[in-house]
Amino acid sequence: MKLKLNFLFFFLLSISILAQDKTVTGIVTSAEDGLPLPNVNVIVKGTAKGTSTDFDGNYTITLSQGNILEFSYIGFKTKNVTITNNNVLNIALEVDAQSLEEVVVIGYGAQKKADVTGAITTIDSEDIQKTPNSNVMQSLQGKVAGVQVTSVGSPGDSPSIRIRGVNSYAAGGTPLFVVDGMFYDNIDFLDSSQIQSVSVLKDASSIAIFGRRGVNGVIIIETNGGKFEKKPEITYNGYTGIQHAQNVVKMANAEQFVTMAYESGSESDIQFVQNAIERFGRSRINPNVPNVNTDWYNEVLRDATITSHNIAINGGSESSSYGVNASYFSQDGILDMKNEYERFNIQSNLDFKVSDRLKIGVNSIFSNATKYNPENGAWFQAYFAVPILPVYDYANTGADPIPFSDATILGYRGSQNPFPQMTYNNNQLKIKKILASVYAEYDLVPDKLSFKTSYSHDYSTIAERNVRLPYFISQNSQRETSSIRRANLTYSTQYWDNTLTYKDNFGDHSFKLLAGSSYGDEQTNSFSATGNDVQGIDLESSWYLNFADPTSFASQVNEIGDRFYTLAYFGRLEYSLKDKYLLNATVRHEGDAKFPKKIWETTPAFGIGWVISKENFMQNSNVIDFLKLRASWGQLANGQLGGSAGTRTVSQLTTAIGDTQTNGIISSSNFTDLEREILEETNFGISARLFNSKLTLEADYFIRDTKKLVVPVDQAIVSNTLLVNAGEMRNQGLEIAANWSQPINDNWSFSVGGNIGTLDNKVTKINTDQGYYDTGSAEFRQRLMVGEPVNAFYGWEIDGVYQNEAQVAADPTAQYELTENNNQLVPGDFMYKDQNNDGKIDADDRVVLGSYLPDFTYGANMQVSYKNFDFSVAIAGQSGNEILNRKRGEVLFTNDTNIDADFAINRWHGEGTSNDYPSSEGRRKGWNQKMSSFFVENGSYFRVQNIQLAYTIPSKLVGGKNMPETKITFTADRPFTSFSYNGFSPEVANGVDRQTYPIPAVYTVGVNIKI
Amino acid sequence: MKNLKQLLKPLALMLVAFMTIVSCSDKLEENDGQLSADDLDFTASEDMILPLIGAYSETYSRGWEDPLLIGVRGDDVNAGGVGDAQGGFTNADLYNYDNGYWMYNQVWENFYGDITDIVNSGETILKYKEFASGDYVNLADQYIAETKVLSGFQHLQMSRLWGDIFIITNSNVSTDIDNGVDTKEEVMLYVSELMDEAIPFLADMRPNERTDVPGGVTKYTALAIKALANLELENYQAVADITEEIISSNKFSLYPDFYELFKKPGKLSNESLFELQFSDYNTDTGSTNNHLYAPFGPSSWTPAVSTASGGWGFYEPSLKYIKFMIDRDDETRLVTSVCFTPRGIAEIMLDPSYSTLPSYISNVTPDGDVFNDYTRAMFASGKHYLPSNQLTPGRNDYGSSKNFNVIRYSEILLMYAEALTHGATGTIMTADQAVNIVRNRVGMDPISGVTTDDVMDEKFAELGMEWGIRYFDMIRLNKYDELSYEGRTFTAQDELLPYPQAQLDLLPLE
Repeated sequence: MKLKLNFLFFFLLSISILAQDKTVTGIVTSAEDGLPLPNVNVIVKGTAKGTSTDFDGNYTITLSQGNILEFSYIGFKTKNVTITNNNVLNIALEVDAQSLEEVVVIGYGAQKKADVTGAITTIDSEDIQKTPNSNVMQSLQGKVAGVQVTSVGSPGDSPSIRIRGVNSYAAGGTPLFVVDGMFYDNIDFLDSSQIQSVSVLKDASSIAIFGRRGVNGVIIIETNGGKFEKKPEITYNGYTGIQHAQNVVKMANAEQFVTMAYESGSESDIQFVQNAIERFGRSRINPNVPNVNTDWYNEVLRDATITSHNIAINGGSESSSYGVNASYFSQDGILDMKNEYERFNIQSNLDFKVSDRLKIGVNSIFSNATKYNPENGAWFQAYFAVPILPVYDYANTGADPIPFSDATILGYRGSQNPFPQMTYNNNQLKIKKILASVYAEYDLVPDKLSFKTSYSHDYSTIAERNVRLPYFISQNSQRETSSIRRANLTYSTQYWDNTLTYKDNFGDHSFKLLAGSSYGDEQTNSFSATGNDVQGIDLESSWYLNFADPTSFASQVNEIGDRFYTLAYFGRLEYSLKDKYLLNATVRHEGDAKFPKKIWETTPAFGIGWVISKENFMQNSNVIDFLKLRASWGQLANGQLGGSAGTRTVSQLTTAIGDTQTNGIISSSNFTDLEREILEETNFGISARLFNSKLTLEADYFIRDTKKLVVPVDQAIVSNTLLVNAGEMRNQGLEIAANWSQPINDNWSFSVGGNIGTLDNKVTKINTDQGYYDTGSAEFRQRLMVGEPVNAFYGWEIDGVYQNEAQVAADPTAQYELTENNNQLVPGDFMYKDQNNDGKIDADDRVVLGSYLPDFTYGANMQVSYKNFDFSVAIAGQSGNEILNRKRGEVLFTNDTNIDADFAINRWHGEGTSNDYPSSEGRRKGWNQKMSSFFVENGSYFRVQNIQLAYTIPSKLVGGKNMPETKITFTADRPFTSFSYNGFSPEVANGVDRQTYPIPAVYTVGVNIKI
Repeated sequence: MKNLKQLLKPLALMLVAFMTIVSCSDKLEENDGQLSADDLDFTASEDMILPLIGAYSETYSRGWEDPLLIGVRGDDVNAGGVGDAQGGFTNADLYNYDNGYWMYNQVWENFYGDITDIVNSGETILKYKEFASGDYVNLADQYIAETKVLSGFQHLQMSRLWGDIFIITNSNVSTDIDNGVDTKEEVMLYVSELMDEAIPFLADMRPNERTDVPGGVTKYTALAIKALANLELENYQAVADITEEIISSNKFSLYPDFYELFKKPGKLSNESLFELQFSDYNTDTGSTNNHLYAPFGPSSWTPAVSTASGGWGFYEPSLKYIKFMIDRDDETRLVTSVCFTPRGIAEIMLDPSYSTLPSYISNVTPDGDVFNDYTRAMFASGKHYLPSNQLTPGRNDYGSSKNFNVIRYSEILLMYAEALTHGATGTIMTADQAVNIVRNRVGMDPISGVTTDDVMDEKFAELGMEWGIRYFDMIRLNKYDELSYEGRTFTAQDELLPYPQAQLDLLPLE
């Protein structure tokens, strides 16, 4: 009876509370250390009403119904508290050891982090949002051991990502991106502010389930969606800033250039200088120099803006959850022409519980971008353009419409001035991507057996419009007729995935079984047409093919396309015994139309783990909280290569027969008939948490072999390369990541972390008697040879510079040159190392000069928080890679052009002046232009990646209104880089630097508001 | 039981999904977006001309470096821009060979790429022939014979440059490569025999008389190439016999205006046995099929049509050639072969024996284009020059729409004459007569009692700057003293180019 009364009492009480619209406030702390917990979800149980704690753990909630508050926070046990009369409710949440071992997203599912046996690294969304960039991947630079990110400077372009070295030579290094379950090769449509988490799957056993597209690693991205039973939240994120070119290469100025021209002894070059003096007058400072001193890089560069806005709303009720957002990004390029990128995205993630057993959902992104591509040739031209040429030449009266200068007027072979290209070319790309997926998930046996089917379609179009305006600068630099090229590229990728998942426990055994199929259809199509002599070309409104001369289309209309289907069946077992002994096993059976020789391929993978910290003998350790040893092995079949025809193909061409354009056909003499590359990897790892989880440590060692390595092989006698299964390659390395985070007191906390990844890449087998394959160009040779890194730079080693005649006379190789090749070497010429000591310098003296792959990449970060201030610094770098400075090497093709100041200053110009650089005269001689160690430079760099200061204004009640939480940030991205390479940037993805869009430093101010 | 029923629906759905997927698997056999060579409709006999046109297209679309490297070593031509860019090109002119220089490999690949494509075209036509009937069978034989002529011509050019080369007989080149290189003699014999194979099937007419493929090869093109191969073999009686066969056909005659022969009016003349054809189709826009003549052009000029583009100044007629022509007072051919700059004229006059020059030597061409001074060269090649007033309006590229003369009837006459001076017998005319036909066209007085040297002088005057004819004549006759000019020293080991380094890296070559 008493019990009933009590019940009644409570019942009445709760009604009275409901009736009263009670307001409850309090602070939520961690039971372990008593520190306040921000962002704890506080909801009124059974309703959609809720809030979250602010930075100091405070919350305020008004209840109109219900009497139980639920406090939930990642890593802590959820706590339900019944409201009493007390208006203040302070809560201490207890750490949930189980959930602390956070969940990691893996292929077609999720796994407890403690159960993972492969190498997976997860990056915080906060770290990603610190980087002001159009591309999410840029923010990964220096963050993940073993992941090399090479930045790009051109707006809207994607950085190149290399995970664990070069896994495939021919397929490139782009990893597979899995965004909310959908597969992409390129995620330039994704806005950084929408990222919830990024996981990098590095080892083969983790990737195995993805099969053909995952060979270069898999990056799984989850975007911000809603949550069931979450109060609505509106956030605004935005920043704006400027970009400024860094480390601009200093070029020889007019005086240095003229000095070198005279030293070269080349009559024509001296004449050109005289011509410049005649045309532009003499410098008053040095009368031997023309009165022009153009710093071409300075002319073509500009400071540029960058802006981003994003607004997002998310939340959820009992049976539905939603996340919708709109974002805008715009960036101008630092090349002074129409060069910019602008993107507008709308995105929605919706999930519905249709019944207890059926859940459905839809994810969609529409990304609409406009990009104006730079004329990258301008960088190349700015390097070579002589400083004695001005940008404008008002004496060039024939020029129309703008009196640009032209080096051919001075006698040079090329017109050199980059401005005509930059001014009269316009390269617009309209990039539209529609990415949509739907899924349905049905629990056949609740909590045990479920079936999921999902269908996704990634449809992208790029509408290119390249406009070429007519101009006249000189006979050698003119465009007689205007032209417009339109190209429509469409990419359509569809996947239909079905999976059946069964999980169960029997005593100490717990397991999860997955069986699935994936059906893919990939189409690409490119249609282009070019028309000339466009009416009204001066107006952008008439930049349509309609206004071009219709007779000009002949032979200028092209269409190519292909469509390939894939089908795969896969299965996975996750098993754990007493949460101590772990086993994961995967198998994938995959069919791919690109490989007619062998359509089907089966690849297995497995991983084992031992959680030592769960053993009895470790239970009492004060230091070690968690320790796991991991080992995995797996195979991957690479399906990312282009379709191999398996047969000779036919193409059309035209030729003039009796002044009539006549068409014919030619059939290829060769064809590719490839088998898939097979990647085979063994990975050993340790995961540990020490000192009350203040220190986390992950270390992995991997050995990764690429079998049936596909290489484009130069064909004998003809100018043609063919993809061939040519050999084997090995990448191995060690990756270590450590992080220490510690709250000091109520006001202060700090964390510091670092990571390093080493890489040892070498070719282990070549399937020819020769033992090597040549790559690169004939003049700038690269080679694949056993025992050496892939695509190693290959040439002669410089042994110094001849200082005097006696030295030349005493050198047998120089004497051989004279008697056999009639080549008189002189002081200022290179001395090459006679590797085989046969008294002559020839092809047999070539050696490996270096590799474009770094020996190691590293990154570190430090974060200090004081009250509402957060300050963070990240650094990154790499070491041990070489860059081929092709800009210098191209003197081979045109040698009357300018050179960088480093060369001009350090050149040999008399005995003892240099033992590294040739003379100005020598620079022009074939002997000194050979592919040599002179052109191969150290590409190591160290960079301050990101500095950010943030101040948070906590949510407050001001004048009865709830002021939203606001965070203000000041960011300097890539403000400082140190390197010795003679170029704009040491970040050259393939190591060959001919022209590189410089990487700007970015300075921004940002605001983040949460309502 | 109830549970089972509940399960039935989703299970049925899964079954449908599974069946759909399995039925998709036949898509894995598809290769969308490619046209396999085996998928051509070989029963459509009227299409058998397409691979033939393809073979012509490959032959015509010569890299710009091909005629330059082939011609530069003669004493008629110097490399433009000495001490300037392209040192390797200059060094080739000076007989200092650097096998790593890119041009060697480029030329090698250009020719061999064409050869494999041409052989491939022949094989494709053969497939058409299998399904052909009636006249198409003969036509297929003719087309296949034409591909043999084109292949023979390119083998000849290759072997002249490198001597021992691979003979390519099959589009799958691996067997031919495994067989190793053949000696220059074997290659020339092969070319000669290949022409014999082709001749019975070829049209018995001048190239410009053909209506199906105007300017395509005929029996006489094959005979001319056979004659060239036998000339390399110094098989002079054969040269006499073959050239006599061409002469006696009475189909060929010299184009009356030597200057215009190399311009638009001379396209596909009655003098032409083989010519690379190009055109801008007389339209100001749209695609063209042009040769890149810019390397031959002046880097500074004032053309009569002011917008006409100049060139790169890479190919400079030698002082030796110019003085030789002045000495002979060979006005027409000198004015046609050489474009002068003021600096060049001054350079000639530096030599006291040439202090006064004939009035026809001028930096203004007969069509009014003014060649200005430029550092790269003192002279430009006139045979590779198209007057600016002959350009199609709107087309400003140097030499746009100009054909590239390859084998002319005058060369046939002079080969005949040379063979006779070496003791071969010919019945149709004497060596004197043959030489004088050539001289007569350009207003040169007849000569008599011609010797081999006289014929060589005539070839020098008539064929200078064309396809290295002069150089290959001199090395055939071991006239190293002629090639040792303007500071050069030529020795026997300089005759052939070294194999390109890139090919040495790829092939079992020594």
